[in-house]
Amino acid sequence: MDEAKTYEQLQGVFDDVFMEPVVVTPTLTARDVEEWDSLTHVSLVLAIERAFGIRFHVGEVESAQNVGDLVGLIRKRSGG
Amino acid sequence: MSSTTPVSVNDVKAAYAAGDPCLAGLLGDATRAVEHFEEALQLHNVRRRAVKDGKIEYGGPGVRIAFIGGYTLSPLSDLAGHCATVFADRTAEVWTGDYDNYVAEIMDPQSGLYGFEPDVVVLLPNRARCRYAGPLGAPPSDIESAAGGVAGEVLQLCAAIHERTSAQVILVNLPLPGGFDPGPFRTTSLGSDYAFSKRVNTLLGLGAPPFVHVCDAEFLANRIGTIAAADIRTWFESKQPFSAAMEVQVAKEIGHIVSSLTKPPKKVIVLDLDNTLWGGVIGDDGLDGIEIGTTSPRGEAFRYFQEYLLELRGRGILLAVCSKNDQANAVLPFTDHPEMVLKLGDVVNFKANWETKAENIRLMATELGLGLDSFVLLDDNPAEIEIVRQFVPEVTGICLGEDPSLFVPMVADSRLFELRTVTSEDLERSKLYAIEAKRQELKSTTLDLPAYWGSLEMVAEVANFNSTDRPRITQLVNKSNQFNLTTRRRTESEIADVESDPATDAFAVRLRDRFGDHGLIAVVIGQIEGSDYVIDTWLMSCRVLSRQVEEATLNEMAGAALVAGCTRIVGVYRPTAKNGLVAGLFPRLGFGTLQAGEAESTYELDLGGFEPRETKILVKGRVYG
Repeated sequence: MDEAKTYEQLQGVFDDVFMEPVVVTPTLTARDVEEWDSLTHVSLVLAIERAFGIRFHVGEVESAQNVGDLVGLIRKRSGG
Repeated sequence: MSSTTPVSVNDVKAAYAAGDPCLAGLLGDATRAVEHFEEALQLHNVRRRAVKDGKIEYGGPGVRIAFIGGYTLSPLSDLAGHCATVFADRTAEVWTGDYDNYVAEIMDPQSGLYGFEPDVVVLLPNRARCRYAGPLGAPPSDIESAAGGVAGEVLQLCAAIHERTSAQVILVNLPLPGGFDPGPFRTTSLGSDYAFSKRVNTLLGLGAPPFVHVCDAEFLANRIGTIAAADIRTWFESKQPFSAAMEVQVAKEIGHIVSSLTKPPKKVIVLDLDNTLWGGVIGDDGLDGIEIGTTSPRGEAFRYFQEYLLELRGRGILLAVCSKNDQANAVLPFTDHPEMVLKLGDVVNFKANWETKAENIRLMATELGLGLDSFVLLDDNPAEIEIVRQFVPEVTGICLGEDPSLFVPMVADSRLFELRTVTSEDLERSKLYAIEAKRQELKSTTLDLPAYWGSLEMVAEVANFNSTDRPRITQLVNKSNQFNLTTRRRTESEIADVESDPATDAFAVRLRDRFGDHGLIAVVIGQIEGSDYVIDTWLMSCRVLSRQVEEATLNEMAGAALVAGCTRIVGVYRPTAKNGLVAGLFPRLGFGTLQAGEAESTYELDLGGFEPRETKILVKGRVYG
């Protein structure tokens, strides 16, 4: 899967998880979105794992600084 | 529950966006059905927004729930708070204790736990502290006593919480580990984590006092699989007790328990007939054409459903019939079909006519003397369910759909008919109501009321509160709504306190007549305040209404008041949505108005020259002195 497709699919996950529209960009962080609290964060990670059929390794997600890092992780774990 | 396909998160979001008036109902249905954590959280978020926008309002007083335990308790507490709000129809206020700080929080009277003043405390004991530390080969009796020690400690913590807060305690027990290690010892030694946890859970359940309600994590984890229920990664990352999927199960279970603690139990199942109790339409297909019994798979499924209904009847749930049919057709299978499990005698109220089911159920409620909120309609026709939901929203409707093999699991998983504190009277209730129906018939043919009362040969027995009657008294105190002057709820241990309070006159009345034994049907708690006998609590089962039990009870109060040196009785009436029935009770009994108020009215009866009210009841009273 190319990176653009990953972003596209990730946008779908964000649309499900967040009540307000959030546009997915590589530099987006939790601080930019009011709704993105710790509870939503747990939810988001689980939704991503289910949508992409992957499982992050222990501690990985914590190390991601922004959505760009997260997409890198998704691609790493889905072998793409 | 309005349709057989579960309501999805997207249905709820769409309903929210469209301003659908059914949003609260859909949110409940979707929350009952939800399995995935992130979807549960979305439902939680929709609810929060809808409440903020004023699109949903949860009635009743809020319920304060504290979470303490050996783990990080959020987000479990948030999800459980959502489920409790939606299932109990009350706003849950959640307080979350610190990670693995529960022992200190319980022991320290100054802790945040007590500052929060919880109604319910959810306790998740730390699994690591519930392990067996000795060798697997130790003598079973040693391990058994270690298990007893662990369970005893946890139950002591529960007791300490209840003592200090009067809160109900929801105890989340131990899920069993899903790993293969230690192999054969898992079952050949009681000391393996698996066997030991299982034993501790059994001891916790058997030892649980009435204020402890077990949230059975062992069962819930087995139900979804022990592997799926655990996620060691989330333990390392944030000290979570369970996998995300398991958190959803535990949250829903906590929600159901909170709901069962705050909502009145369901008492009546109203059954449709055609395509609900049998396949086909009796009016069209006739006795030979309907499907019931072992001749076809569909017939077997209907028969199995009837057997399940009969089992519920055995637990004290009343069965009633409401069908759009001619009476003669409707009763035919019950009387003449050899494969029918249910007989006419199993049905306490049978309505086959062409009126709306909403009207029929209202009538049933009056005839049986029960609140509409204790009724559940089971119907294969979604339109009937919708009509009832619209016109008598107090009634719960379950749409059974088209496949009779799904009827039993649907009703069994509805969580509506689970046993709580079982009293022997519960089990007798079905019989009592059937006898009451006969008595009503007798009443309609007898015009002279006192003669009717006399013909009943009623005997009332009055007794002070005691430990034998305590469970039934507690049950009545917590579920009586209609004939209940003050609706003051008390826990079983508070009832025990009342028993031993010297400034209190607390008694219960049993009634029997020539048709049968009604059991314990009235409860009075009177406070002796100087020269006043103040009626703190007076409630009665509605099935003995207008039988002069009220008068007999008053005589008993007066007797006790005079013995205690009181010169008047002060009656208190606190109106609720359900106790309009007794709004005029005190004036009717000859009391004068002391103070009329919106929240509370008080009445007085001077005991100088008090003449006991005449009744047709033979009263076996208490002996004084």
